[in-house]
Amino acid sequence: MKIELTSPIPGKIMKVIVSVGEVVNEDDEVMKIESMKMENPIYAPAAGTITAIGVKENDEVEVDDLLLVIEEGG
Amino acid sequence: MDKLTFGVTMLVVGMGGTLLTLGIISAIIALMKKIFPYKKEEEEKA
Amino acid sequence: MLEAFANGFSGLLAGFMHLQISNVVMIIVGCVLLYLGIKKDFEPLLLVPIGFGCILVNIPLANLMEPHGFLRTIYDAGIMTELFPLLIFVGIGAMTDFSPVLENPVTFLLGAAGQCGIFLTLGLALALGFTELDAVAIGVIGACDGPTAIYVTAKYAPHLLGAVSVAAYSYMSLVPVIQPPIMRALTTEKERMVVMRATRKSVSKTTRILFPLVITILGGLIAPMGLPLLGTIMLGNLMRECGAVERLTKASANEIANVVTLLLGISIGATMDGKIFLQKQTLIVLALGFVAICLDTACGVLLGKVLYITSKGKINPLIGAAGISAFPMSARVVMKEGQKYNKKNYLLMHAMGANAAGQIGSVIAAAVMLSVLKGMGII
Repeated sequence: MKIELTSPIPGKIMKVIVSVGEVVNEDDEVMKIESMKMENPIYAPAAGTITAIGVKENDEVEVDDLLLVIEEGG
Repeated sequence: MDKLTFGVTMLVVGMGGTLLTLGIISAIIALMKKIFPYKKEEEEKA
Repeated sequence: MLEAFANGFSGLLAGFMHLQISNVVMIIVGCVLLYLGIKKDFEPLLLVPIGFGCILVNIPLANLMEPHGFLRTIYDAGIMTELFPLLIFVGIGAMTDFSPVLENPVTFLLGAAGQCGIFLTLGLALALGFTELDAVAIGVIGACDGPTAIYVTAKYAPHLLGAVSVAAYSYMSLVPVIQPPIMRALTTEKERMVVMRATRKSVSKTTRILFPLVITILGGLIAPMGLPLLGTIMLGNLMRECGAVERLTKASANEIANVVTLLLGISIGATMDGKIFLQKQTLIVLALGFVAICLDTACGVLLGKVLYITSKGKINPLIGAAGISAFPMSARVVMKEGQKYNKKNYLLMHAMGANAAGQIGSVIAAAVMLSVLKGMGII
């Protein structure tokens, strides 16, 4: 099943830690978003394989913008 | 006025007044959000 | 000839001869403040000038705080006239984005609860034998808001200014240490795990422009004694939100705020003369200030719990802790604490809302307090 991770906070993408094809566990750190001058770690919502990444470093994101897609399980 | 009266007055009227004022502000803002709802186009114009 | 030599030389030793033990202690205190600012990153913008001012004023015979001394001139011009804290407020207004609280207006109540410590500590100070106005100045440390504390203290209890401002600024930087244990003690694991989704932008520009106007007029009518505080912060915010006077907004948030912070810091440091500062009273003020901030946090979290119940579990009580106005430290503390218990919980925007409400709350609380004092005929 595909799970979309959307941005929980508005801000700027500081760092994309994972790449497409990578396998992640639930609660692994996948990105850092800078919001309100604070570095916020973003964690994977589920375990699986990253199938798409919707942002790149230095992108400005709003709440609910797509960050990445995880194919659960596999 | 003795200090007890003063202290209790400050606590009741002071804290009460603070809560009341912010309560009113909260209500007014909620109302203003209804009267002037957010529209997506607005930001682009600005 | 020889006598002239001796006399001339004695001029160079006079400073040492007049150095009192209280001066030595205060010079050490000044160095500690500098250390905290430079090495520990505790509010360096304030602690560096305050610490240095403290050292300057404790060097004997220089008389920098006597009439015509340069520190006295700055102090009289900016602190006695209350101008410095007010100018800082214009800058704070210009820097602060209040939209997180406008997104969720109910958080204004958390900003009120976060001021509870002011009034409770005021009562405590009275019980310890402080006079009414001294107690007011001590309580206002609980506003957790430097300029408000300085404004009120400079006006009504100037002899406590050094102690109150040092307490206000140093505890503000200790917020990340002070708050978490209180937050944990007062909430259950289940409450801390409540996920609050951030909302998409829902505040129109009209609302954001009307907000400072409405607050100024309404707040000013309710508590006219606090209008200088409220009016300046809201002027700054109006300039920011209207977007028509970008140059003034930038100047207020950067140049003016920076210059005034320097002058404010150095003149606060200058009130820390050993003869005045080294009293038992100062220690009590510092202790009460600490109590005030703990009580603020506790009341904020407790109201958060009430909202948790009334919202049927939709509001995470942790955000109540951000109701104090230590902006934005306290919101960050809440965000981190929330994520500790549930990694998928991003409370930041809600905490920022409560924190921005706390900014308004501390100003309103001080304004209400002054107007109540006026009503009772005390000031």
